[in-house]
Amino acid sequence: MVPIVKISNLDKYFGRLHVLKDISLEVMPREVVCLIGRSGSGKSTLLRCINFLEVPSHGTIEVDGVKVEGGEKGKINRDLVHEVRLRTGMVFQEFNLFPHMSVLENVIEGPVQVKGMDRDKAIALAEKNLNHVDMLWKKDEYPMRLSGGQKQRVAIARALTMEPKVMLFDEPTSALDPELIGEVLNVMKKLALDGMTMLVVTHEMGFAKDVADRVLVMGDGEIIEDAKPSDLFTNPKDPRTKALIERYRSGEQ
Amino acid sequence: MNLFAKNEPNAPKSQADLIFEANQRKELQFKANVALSWMVLILILIFLFSGQNILGIKTIQLDTTFIKDNLVFIAGGLGQTIKISLLSIVLATILALLAALGRLSTFPPIYALSTFYVSLIRGTPLYLQIFFFFLALPQLGIILPGLWAGVIALGLNYGAYMSEIFRAGLSSVGKGQREAAIALGMTPGQTMKRVILPQALRFAIPPTGNEFIAMTKDSALVSVTGFVHELMWRSTKVGRAQFHNLEALIMAAMFYWAMTLLLSYLQSRIEARLSKGDR
Repeated sequence: MVPIVKISNLDKYFGRLHVLKDISLEVMPREVVCLIGRSGSGKSTLLRCINFLEVPSHGTIEVDGVKVEGGEKGKINRDLVHEVRLRTGMVFQEFNLFPHMSVLENVIEGPVQVKGMDRDKAIALAEKNLNHVDMLWKKDEYPMRLSGGQKQRVAIARALTMEPKVMLFDEPTSALDPELIGEVLNVMKKLALDGMTMLVVTHEMGFAKDVADRVLVMGDGEIIEDAKPSDLFTNPKDPRTKALIERYRSGEQ
Repeated sequence: MNLFAKNEPNAPKSQADLIFEANQRKELQFKANVALSWMVLILILIFLFSGQNILGIKTIQLDTTFIKDNLVFIAGGLGQTIKISLLSIVLATILALLAALGRLSTFPPIYALSTFYVSLIRGTPLYLQIFFFFLALPQLGIILPGLWAGVIALGLNYGAYMSEIFRAGLSSVGKGQREAAIALGMTPGQTMKRVILPQALRFAIPPTGNEFIAMTKDSALVSVTGFVHELMWRSTKVGRAQFHNLEALIMAAMFYWAMTLLLSYLQSRIEARLSKGDR
């Protein structure tokens, strides 16, 4: 099988800081990959490099056959980056819904503006996806009037309505009150069961353990471990992974 | 327990109801007292111009026949004043928006043009700028009706100041909004038009209202050129001709004040509506 995401020899510098060091990674279609690691380990930056919210300093990103070379900001092939963005959907920690648009308007904005989709067709698609995240009943509300968990579910529907090949989640539950985390994780679980390819940066070890096919542990700008959750949680190799898992276990009790 | 107790006329009021009503009474009383104080201040103002000599306080004597005879002539300038102000605020808004966007540009000439414009206009007096446009444009072979030269001068001036408002509006929109739009595949132009600007403009509307109110009064400066027969020009003209400058100026002042009161009222209505919505 051909990988749907392929990252080769990726480097990223913030000024003099070397935040991603020669990272190579392949993700297969339908695979759910969780990225864990301490804050500052580079996991969010790696995710944001995939759709060029951060421009990789070196290396290549390939999504669904579209290959883009990293390099200097002004010299990136914009058309290819656009193609990559059409194939990836992103969900942010802070939701980033558009506050001046209703829930439905938020969700159809991408298809109508970017793909030039017929409005009625976009609405039908949006309503289907809102229903899937159980937010159709709030379609005429404005984001201001939603809870954090509801906002994040709308954000997921917004990304899905662009019909991406890969979904990128950047700490999707980190800004939520504890009692609202479950509803978002359940929607993500549902997506995984639907067969969506997902890359999830998260601190939710329980989700990684139950839903992920693979867990990548990042530390100091490198992937220090890449394993099935069953192996990783019972038999961590790197001491940094062991520390992470121990901290999770002690928090759980 | 009777769930509908509240609707019964003789039901005892709850603690919360009592506190709420007391607060409302307080608020009403405050408003009534403010209105009363305004009345007193207005009466004092009228007394100052009454020409009466009570308790040894000297007051100003105005010629009421002059005021009656010239009221219509001076009021005839209202239309021009409103026209200048409206046209200028439209021009200023467009320029301010362009200048604010120019400040975001990474293309050096555009960035430079925007900062140069704001610096030059803010660095010189408006009075001087108005003269400059009347004197300079004909030398370039451009002969505009007086009104339009005034509008260009006022619009350019206010545009420079208002560009700061729009810049603040643009930077009030969080970075995440841009990222969300980009991640959906929007171009920089679409991101600006669909996501950033609508939010920035909502932020900029109340301060723009303030600028508009200020501008209706600065439009008086256009009268110095003698080509636009707005409120100020008319009042100085009749005042000078009949040696009743003070009466004429006071009449103009009343018109400006009335316009400002009306505009302030409209502005507060708009602000209330903006804050009520989904924000």
